[in-house]
Amino acid sequence: MKSESEHRKYVPEISQKEIDELRTTIKAASQKIIAENIERMKKTAENRPEEMQYFDDIADFFGTREKEIREAKENGKKVIGYMCLLAPTELILAADAIPVRVNSGWYDTAKLGDRVVPVEVCPVVRSTIGAKMIGLSPYLELSDALINLLTCDGITKLGEILSDYKPVWTMTIPRVKDSAQSLRLWNDEIKTTKSQIETLTGNKIDRKKLRSAIELTQKATKAFRRLQEIRKGAPVIMGRDAMLVNQTYMWDDIKRWTEKTEALCDELEKRVQKKMWACPPDTLRVMVTGTPMIWPDNWKLPTLIEEGTPQGVLVADELCSSERLLYDPVGVDEWNMNDMYNAIGERYLMASTCPCFTSADGNEDRINWLLNKIKEWNIQGVIYYVHRGCMLYAMEYTRVKKVLDSINVPVYYLDTEYTREDVGQMKTRVEAFLEMLSARIDI
Amino acid sequence: MLMEILGEALKLTVLTGLAIAGTLVILLWKKNLATKVTYLRFLIQLVSVVAFFYIFTYPIWQLFMLIVILVLPLFIGRFFCGWLCPFALYMDAITLIRKAVKVRYRVLPDKLNKFLHNFRYVLLLFFLIIPFVLAVLNPPSTLDLSVLLALLLAGPFEPLRILVGPIIPLIVPWVGPLAIGNVYFSYPYVQEVILYSEIVFSETFVTIIALIFVALTVVGSFFVRRIWCRFCPTGSSLAVLNRFRGFKWAPALHIDKNEEKCTKCGICKRVCPVQVTEVYEQKGGKIDTSMCMLCMRCVEMCPYEGCLKVNLGGKTVFKSRNWLEPSTIE
Repeated sequence: MKSESEHRKYVPEISQKEIDELRTTIKAASQKIIAENIERMKKTAENRPEEMQYFDDIADFFGTREKEIREAKENGKKVIGYMCLLAPTELILAADAIPVRVNSGWYDTAKLGDRVVPVEVCPVVRSTIGAKMIGLSPYLELSDALINLLTCDGITKLGEILSDYKPVWTMTIPRVKDSAQSLRLWNDEIKTTKSQIETLTGNKIDRKKLRSAIELTQKATKAFRRLQEIRKGAPVIMGRDAMLVNQTYMWDDIKRWTEKTEALCDELEKRVQKKMWACPPDTLRVMVTGTPMIWPDNWKLPTLIEEGTPQGVLVADELCSSERLLYDPVGVDEWNMNDMYNAIGERYLMASTCPCFTSADGNEDRINWLLNKIKEWNIQGVIYYVHRGCMLYAMEYTRVKKVLDSINVPVYYLDTEYTREDVGQMKTRVEAFLEMLSARIDI
Repeated sequence: MLMEILGEALKLTVLTGLAIAGTLVILLWKKNLATKVTYLRFLIQLVSVVAFFYIFTYPIWQLFMLIVILVLPLFIGRFFCGWLCPFALYMDAITLIRKAVKVRYRVLPDKLNKFLHNFRYVLLLFFLIIPFVLAVLNPPSTLDLSVLLALLLAGPFEPLRILVGPIIPLIVPWVGPLAIGNVYFSYPYVQEVILYSEIVFSETFVTIIALIFVALTVVGSFFVRRIWCRFCPTGSSLAVLNRFRGFKWAPALHIDKNEEKCTKCGICKRVCPVQVTEVYEQKGGKIDTSMCMLCMRCVEMCPYEGCLKVNLGGKTVFKSRNWLEPSTIE
């Protein structure tokens, strides 16, 4: 045991007994929270879509999906984890491996992460480190290798720390998206990662496989977009339900996820015709932008919005854990290897609205995304959600506020931590904002 | 005489009928939005090749073509290049072969592309000036305005024929450079190449030069999409008027971009056969470039509903769609 911890560069030694104890308690607490969150989501929605049952099952970290991946692994399939949505999932799929996103949303493990990194660091990073220290997240444990995207500082160092446990492949992200040299670098990174995936899995990525992988994710994008289109109208699905659907994509089997999402959309479209709304159609339409909110623990803001008085409903968001996951398709011009690599590269790099990018006019893409969403989805108010420690999102706030002020859409800056202690205080803040929004409408 | 006119009218009717039928078939058959316009374009190009061959059988074709080339582009920009030009069809056919043998295309560096783009004006000017230079070098007996005009319009070098160079069909209804039996074959610009090189070289060399020209364009368009369109002098004449500020209102057909819907995913830049970067770079509004041939590949491939639009006289005729979704309105 000691020899293993000796060659760990970052993570301190913890006794096996402590690890086991912590894992059992946190796992039990987490299972309780998952069940509770789903219960509360069921209660809020007047008539929750029946198809949501499937996503509830998949949302259970320690349930069916974990078993499935374990079985697939025994049959020789490889699992490749990634820490940021910029990882090229198509390449993983083409090599017949299972892609899973391993960022963690457990509050309790964030405290464990404090033993490795200071409290000022982004809680997503601390929580992921903590989850790895006690082996909590089944997807992180099952993955054979991790792809780390050097986007923000936190994620960059997270990869370094996790390399104590697993092979981590890094992919350098150029900070300027649209110059020719950036694209060259990034396309080279894509090709390097491709050969790394090939060596790990032992499967060669050829034209046919890559094409079918791209078509698979295109179909997923289609279903995903269909769901977001439905949310444009009166709320037929609660925002939390939709967010859960979006988020299960991160670890579900993509083909099955697509089928189930299409089925959900069919059901929702029937409901739209019958005018069966999930909540009163005049509920305040709220959008969330900012740092990712990850299932299961970090569900407090959507819960507060949708269970608050006055009630709000999330109809759109700009989170890399939800709507940004799949909004952009891979657009291939000619189905040859070269064009497919370029298409994959551009889809992940150039279409991203992550604030870690900059250009001559700053992160203009994100502003455009917000403006478009606000117009098309009829947003009445925006909540700017930031984890303490996320510099990039925090620093872009003033610009976003200026733009949104100019089109007369209220925006509220809400910063928080991975903790349950501030729920009461956040409730007051969120409800005050919602109150203000409804007052604006009355006038 | 009457019977002849009737026969010609009948031919034209059959041709248009076939074109309309083909268009309908493609619109119904191609469910995939991302390739629908491409197939439509191929059909229109094929029809236009036949139509051009037909027009060429009349002696006044040159005048007719000149009107098309000089007047129409004022309003529809380089739409001609994208959708009607026979030379473009040959290049597109070569691209299809390249796709079939799964060879990847090469892109020119943006700087070289921009240089070629400006170079076509030099090329155009060169061809228009040549007859006058020759007139000075070898002065005709009288040198008044009418002679100069005649030099420009007809003369030994027919400079305006350069403008119709790319329209030459592969099989020509006149005495072409290559004859197999009774059928004469030609290739865009080959007759001009022969004409000009005959001044300097002997006959065998002329054939070799002509062959080299054909080989270069074929190989070039195999590796680089629409290579000739990047410096085609005809294309420049189409664009030259729209470059002036006073004529900015003129193009009735143009591409519009909605900035808010654009996520800068870069698809429009990658799929463009002549590597136009303005659609990607411009912030929004009317796309302002004389490089764009309005082939609408970018509009077709843009995955954001209503981000790129093709406007004809203020009305949107075609706009980008979420092509993942098969269209429901057909």
